[in-house]
Amino acid sequence: MSIVPFTLSATGALKQLLADGDPRFFDLLQQQTLAATGFAEMAALSTLRKRARHQSMKMETAPRALRLAIVGGCSLYPLQELVQHCLEAAGYPAGQKVDIFTGAYDNYVAEVMLPESSLYEFRPDVIVLIPSDTRCSYAGQLFDSREQQEAQAFRLAFDLLELCRTAHDRTRAEIILANFALPAAFDPGPYRTRTAASDWTFRKSVNLELGLGAPSFVHLCDVEFLSARRGTLAVHDARAWFESKQPYAADFLVDVAKEINHIVSGLRRNIKKLVVLDLDNTLWGGVIGDDGLEGIEIGDTSPRGEAFKAFQQYLKSLTKRGILLAVCSKNDRAKAVEPFEKHPEMALRMSDFVSFKANWEPKSENLRQIANELNLGLDSFVFVDDNPAEVDIVRQFVPEVETVLLTADPSDFITLLQDCRFFEPLNITPEDVHRGQQYQQEAQRKETLTACTDMAAYLGSLEMRAVITEFQGVDVPRIAQLINKSNQFNVTTRRRTESEVRAVIQDPSHIAFTVRLADRFGDHGLISVVICRIEGTVMEIDTWLMSCRVLKRQVEDEVVKEIVRLARDLDCNVIRGRYDPTSKNSMVRDLYPRMGFAAAGQVGDQLIFELGTAGCHSEQTAIQVMRRSYEQVVSA
Amino acid sequence: MNRSSVLERLQSVCDDVFLDPVIVTPELSAKDVPEWDSLLHISLTLAVEKNFGVRFGMGEVEATRNLGEFADLILRKLPK
Repeated sequence: MSIVPFTLSATGALKQLLADGDPRFFDLLQQQTLAATGFAEMAALSTLRKRARHQSMKMETAPRALRLAIVGGCSLYPLQELVQHCLEAAGYPAGQKVDIFTGAYDNYVAEVMLPESSLYEFRPDVIVLIPSDTRCSYAGQLFDSREQQEAQAFRLAFDLLELCRTAHDRTRAEIILANFALPAAFDPGPYRTRTAASDWTFRKSVNLELGLGAPSFVHLCDVEFLSARRGTLAVHDARAWFESKQPYAADFLVDVAKEINHIVSGLRRNIKKLVVLDLDNTLWGGVIGDDGLEGIEIGDTSPRGEAFKAFQQYLKSLTKRGILLAVCSKNDRAKAVEPFEKHPEMALRMSDFVSFKANWEPKSENLRQIANELNLGLDSFVFVDDNPAEVDIVRQFVPEVETVLLTADPSDFITLLQDCRFFEPLNITPEDVHRGQQYQQEAQRKETLTACTDMAAYLGSLEMRAVITEFQGVDVPRIAQLINKSNQFNVTTRRRTESEVRAVIQDPSHIAFTVRLADRFGDHGLISVVICRIEGTVMEIDTWLMSCRVLKRQVEDEVVKEIVRLARDLDCNVIRGRYDPTSKNSMVRDLYPRMGFAAAGQVGDQLIFELGTAGCHSEQTAIQVMRRSYEQVVSA
Repeated sequence: MNRSSVLERLQSVCDDVFLDPVIVTPELSAKDVPEWDSLLHISLTLAVEKNFGVRFGMGEVEATRNLGEFADLILRKLPK
């Protein structure tokens, strides 16, 4: 969306389009509505919209009008006019009609509580509730205990949320609840921060409780944030309150109306999943094809390079919220790839992108191709480019795609994306986060390792879960694969075919199990294989191997515990292990001694170790063993 | 600034605020202009405050019956 700075005279263009009956009127009206920041501008746009309706100008209309009720502790006129205007002129779906119900001044509690109230007669789809500021003050003494003050803030928030619940239960409507603007006046001085009895701190506490306690059908209109963004001095207007019970200064009504539109529209709009990025003068300064790897501006050596790098880091942070990145650039692919592979200052690497289009085809075509490849809707794309012509082509040929036009100044880039408001999920679910993390699980795990200097704390923080299972048919291909490929953590390097593995399952003199491991970053799958042979009272470890991905994660300790447990169940009193050295498995040379086994001789190169099952080690590990599915088999 | 220069400047404010042409006269009031509803009234008041750099007290604007009295009010608010 291009943002046209609004001046009152800009309505001139709209007036002309209206006079000509030109349908582009509605596009311009939408742009100017989204850009308006003042009351007079918005009021003028609202009047123009109503005129267009009167002239019955053709406009696509949604099948059913949205029924929106506004109730609150203040006069709701003209706020409701602005809300209706924003929704009809710039809401989603476009062209929708909005029926508005306006509650009586400060009558919201009764309107919500009484089942026969006119609010319920209206059958709203959405209810906006603007509670009374004046009642959001601490009722006790300045020097009451912190607990008393917090309890009252909690109570006030709780009551409001219960009111929302009542309204929702009776209507199934989504509830938009405004929280409280903080005061702008100095009184009572810096002391305000030291007691929850001050309006400043009390309202902050109430807002906090509202946010943390809101159920999913309550959407907060964050007036505290919006008012801080505009500046609280410009938000409060005592004259407007006393004259006509206005909740806020007129211009701030515009911020609130736009936010309500944003929330209501967001309820039905697809969320954006993919950012498609240009390269030259977007991810770095300069043109890679002309300036070369050493000529582009990226990294901490210049302010502009630093800004581009910070932009890359911001984009990378979006992936942690489940947003995917792609590249769409007019470039030779080999040259375009070079910085990602070779430039040390790049924050983004090839692995950060789910699609990389660097060619000379029109960007609109590339976008369609990306949508096909990823099986994503174009309406989940946001296209980011510094070239107005490219942005314009995308707008024309793939209008489903939202666009962000960058400036020539990279220090603007992060703010432009942060304020475009395309990446605001109603709720961030674990699945959203997972989507992005799939690609980065290993990297994050390593970050955690460097973040924690204490190994035990690190292992604990991984929240590891293991599943130990006897060999089963479905696992045979993976077991055989590990048996035939593992070289490093493999004590005997004894290879077996799939049918030989199946034979082990059938053979009562063998007992064999696998270990699967998962942690909070993801599932590693089947990572360890153990085969033991029972010879009288000796349990011989024929095969013990493990994927190196899970080294130093205490899986070995759990394996030994399991072998000991099985040996005891099967009346074996000695466990024997062998280390058969190869050119690649030196990492397990001292595995058995580390696990408490004693040296018990040598046959050729082969080292033999033994462990008595009586009184041997069973240290706690950070792994939670979820299941031993063959437990019954063994005891049977 | 005198009454007529205030009215002159009011004309340019009205040109901005009203969509249809309005000819400012001392006798003109809301009932003469179909477009002049309460929404527009708030806009007009805000636009005048901004344009003249004044701030009206509570109820002062409501007490004026036409643009002539409105101009007098503005004159009283302007620094002497």
